Amino acid sequence: MTRAEIFQVVKANIERIVEGVDGSRVTEDVSMNELGADSLQVVEVVSRSMKELKLKVPRTELSKAQNLRDLVDLFEKADAGGA
Amino acid sequence: MITGIGAVTVVGDSPEALHASLVAGRSGIGRWKRPRDDRYYSQIGGDLSDFDLAAHLEGRSGSYSPELVKRCLALMRAAPLPPRLVAAVALQAYHDSGLAGAIVPDRIGHVMAGHNVNAGYIIQNGLTFYQEDPDYIEPLFGLLCMDTDVLAATSELLMLKGPSFTVGGACASGNVALLAGVEMLRAGRADAVLVTGAPIELEPVALQGWALIDAISIRSFNDAPEQASRPFDARREGFVPSEGAGAVMLETLSSARARGARVHGELLGASTVSDASRLTRPDLDGQVRAMQLAMADARIAAADVDYVNAHATSTPLGDAVEVAAIKTALGRRARQIPINSTKSMIGHCLTSAGIIELIATLLQMRHGVVHPTINQDVADPELDLDFVPNRSRPAGIDVALSNSFGFGGINACVAVGRHGK
Repeated sequence: MTRAEIFQVVKANIERIVEGVDGSRVTEDVSMNELGADSLQVVEVVSRSMKELKLKVPRTELSKAQNLRDLVDLFEKADAGGA
Repeated sequence: MITGIGAVTVVGDSPEALHASLVAGRSGIGRWKRPRDDRYYSQIGGDLSDFDLAAHLEGRSGSYSPELVKRCLALMRAAPLPPRLVAAVALQAYHDSGLAGAIVPDRIGHVMAGHNVNAGYIIQNGLTFYQEDPDYIEPLFGLLCMDTDVLAATSELLMLKGPSFTVGGACASGNVALLAGVEMLRAGRADAVLVTGAPIELEPVALQGWALIDAISIRSFNDAPEQASRPFDARREGFVPSEGAGAVMLETLSSARARGARVHGELLGASTVSDASRLTRPDLDGQVRAMQLAMADARIAAADVDYVNAHATSTPLGDAVEVAAIKTALGRRARQIPINSTKSMIGHCLTSAGIIELIATLLQMRHGVVHPTINQDVADPELDLDFVPNRSRPAGIDVALSNSFGFGGINACVAVGRHGK
């Protein structure tokens, strides 16, 4: 799975779950909080993306992600590890 | 005072549609629409699994503001069927009451009748946990596994900030919640209280459980499901489980008067008593006491009662005991008034049944008509009251009783009257 494919899954979930988000603002540089997501929406985006990508990242690792780049990094690493 | 009503059932997604179907004698019972596994017994019931909340709200776009609809759909995005139904009926009753902006949110309570509301969702997540991966359960499971989340989501939607809690009383939950709502108003803890009746999502494990204790219809009517719910009839064989939700807005007389609210009826009194028994066996004494205490609470005599909406689930023993209880509680009046079963058409909505049947009662009162008990083909000689067999007819109702008797010996009755009588 390419990094772009992983990012697309995360972006699609953000657009579906965080109401009123402007898709053009969803880049690797921002955090979900900056996009207006509340704590439950962050959990939902992460969990649904992991399940869709068939990945597993420990919650303790996920909490270190500061922005979408960090999150995609973790997913990419998990994907490589699981491949 | 009852100033708002809302209902979604298998025969209509509004109180008016429910009433029209009931008066027409139309059954909403069919074969389960969900994919089913032939290893379990239940094949028929009232199935709302295809309820589409977005389409439902869109159909009422003139009633609700776009912001409210948006907030509702956002809150319900990941929710299973029961909370979506509760949100729909809560919106209906709230809108119908017209109290938005008239009472401060702190003075509006919310009591939700129901328990095990999201059982189907919980079981599905259990399967995911054990068969797939613990990390892949639904992300909001930690909230949605609790009944109070259903309550809280609707309270958030409508900004209900008064006392707020769930009430469990098995199949009597609706009436027990109405009692709790009345007592909240009498105690002065709120000026209005929304009483919602949540359904139980009818997943196969619960259906199998009820089949194993011989409580539901599984034998004779699988090829004619609309005939399965036949309270009082000699061929009745068990209740017919069904999905449906209802909501009523209760309000103090002074509050309703002050804002000139339209009043559907008056909740005159309510009661609940226990048989002190965990068995499903109905108890004559408990049912009689529930009816007598509701009448006493309402300060009415048996002679004042014009109509009884019976619990009448279509079980062989339950219907017989209830008829005996009505005869004992109402004496000679029992033979002078119509007594019917809403469940003969919509099935047994379990935890929400009391709320839906109160709404059915109010609409019969308003329209001067009693709906039939359908499927009355072979009379049971022991059950000889006027059950309004098969056809509706005009009837003047000023005062009515509505019974609900639940597993665990929980008996509850409410008395309702025409406003001003």
